[in-house]
Amino acid sequence: MPDRRRPVSRTAAWVLRLGLFAFCAFPLYWMVVSSLKVSHELLASPPTFWPHEWELRAYRKLFYETNFWTYFQNTVVVSALTTVIVLVAGVIGAYSLTRYAFRGRTLVARLTLLAYMFPPIIMLVPLFLLARQFGLVNSIPGLALTYISFSLPYALWILRAFFQSIPLELEHAALIDGANRAQALTYVVMPLALPGIIATAIFTFIVAWNDFLFALVLIGQDELKTLAIGINEFFHMAVVDWGLIMAAGVMVTIPALVFFIAVQRYLIAGWGAGGLKG
Amino acid sequence: MLAFTLFPVGYNVWLGFFAKHSLRATSTWVGLGNYAQMLGDPDFWRSVWLATVYAVGSTTLQILAGVAGALILHQRFAGCDFLRGVALFPYMIPTVIAVFVWRWLMNDLYGVIPYVLGTLHIPGMPEAWLTHRTIMWVLIVLSVWTFFPFVLVNVLARLQTIPPELYDAARVDGASAVRQFFHVTLPQLRNVLLIVLLLRGIWMFTKFDVPWLLGFGGGAGEAIRTLPVFTYQRSFTYYQAGMGAALSNIMLVLLLMAVTIYFVAFPPAEEENDA
Repeated sequence: MPDRRRPVSRTAAWVLRLGLFAFCAFPLYWMVVSSLKVSHELLASPPTFWPHEWELRAYRKLFYETNFWTYFQNTVVVSALTTVIVLVAGVIGAYSLTRYAFRGRTLVARLTLLAYMFPPIIMLVPLFLLARQFGLVNSIPGLALTYISFSLPYALWILRAFFQSIPLELEHAALIDGANRAQALTYVVMPLALPGIIATAIFTFIVAWNDFLFALVLIGQDELKTLAIGINEFFHMAVVDWGLIMAAGVMVTIPALVFFIAVQRYLIAGWGAGGLKG
Repeated sequence: MLAFTLFPVGYNVWLGFFAKHSLRATSTWVGLGNYAQMLGDPDFWRSVWLATVYAVGSTTLQILAGVAGALILHQRFAGCDFLRGVALFPYMIPTVIAVFVWRWLMNDLYGVIPYVLGTLHIPGMPEAWLTHRTIMWVLIVLSVWTFFPFVLVNVLARLQTIPPELYDAARVDGASAVRQFFHVTLPQLRNVLLIVLLLRGIWMFTKFDVPWLLGFGGGAGEAIRTLPVFTYQRSFTYYQAGMGAALSNIMLVLLLMAVTIYFVAFPPAEEENDA
């Protein structure tokens, strides 16, 4: 539809759009630019909005002089482990929540809402003490187990909404044709719920990828650290190297950005089902 | 499966009645001792106050920014899909990175934002922002930047389901754009805004990583020592696990109150229909 409003309000609309763009994008632009500036320009006053000189010093330092790559691998492993386990358990759990009638089903459904709202800080002390008791401190599987314990209920909450939208008749048809429950789930329900499953995978992955609190409490050994607490270590250097920190920021953001663009379609679907947290 | 979550919560409630060292195995029953001590501690009350200021300030601004953003992005225009992507991005980058980028943007010596604000020569404008007096503002602005896309997405999704006939009717009646917003859009958004308000309020009140990462090592951290940060310090700086658990239980009670409000506002009958 062509914009038939007065030129004044059209200009105003563009000013607002640009304002929104600047508010969201400027900090990210500044991160990228800062990571590529030479040291003396980085600390120059007034700051330069477009650098006179560029260099990759900060990136070289990041890869050759810090454990960034180790942190990166640890984060990928713990996030992947969490996501796989949550998905398997979540799909089975959500399926039983929507397909089998049992006493207290509504109560369970309500508890999942509670789990969705649930702030992880409340679990801080008990999970730490339990992890110590079971020897899960300073271990990647232990950290993954912690993430699973608070992202699983929330995965159930998203998946449940998706499973509810799949008509029972389709499954009945499969059952009549001689499929068992497991086959009906694998061949009929899962493909239809795929966008929801992918959305759940993304959000679970993000929970593990972004967590700071539990990694801080549960991981002490440097070679087991995840990105969140590893990058935090860069602040403990004698002189804080802002170029290095910004370079680390860019390196963490790029995979997230690529991933985000690749799965954007599913993200929007998940959002509709209440699949965001944090 | 829910036992997985419920067990630690129950354990936490139980722990709140003990004096327990975070690393040693011993624990002593103190009944309500932790709670009595907490209520007599001015630092506790201060942390509750700071968490409230933070939660109210950042939630209000997130909702305003989110609704404004959603209204801007609701229209179709050249590059609107691109701008939608950009607007979601602050929410997608890891919290640690978001906080560090803002620490750099607001750096007392080299920060670009204090520099730009300085060139405006506004009387009374502070030169350094990461100080006791102003760090709460930085915390709030940074949190709005990071979390307003959550509001934006939820509101935008709802806006797109408002029937256009409602606007046509309003226009026929001669309602201006402002009146249309208050009399058509806002009532339609009422439910989604209530949910978002509850969720964001709870999540901001219990946010640990943002105030912690902004405040540590800077000297002004004390001015943003909100309840979650205070809880963390009791548990892992002073190793008072029992006290830490008792403090978490306070947050648990607040959470339960929020959920109760939710179910009063949205009677469960509606929920059962779609089950």
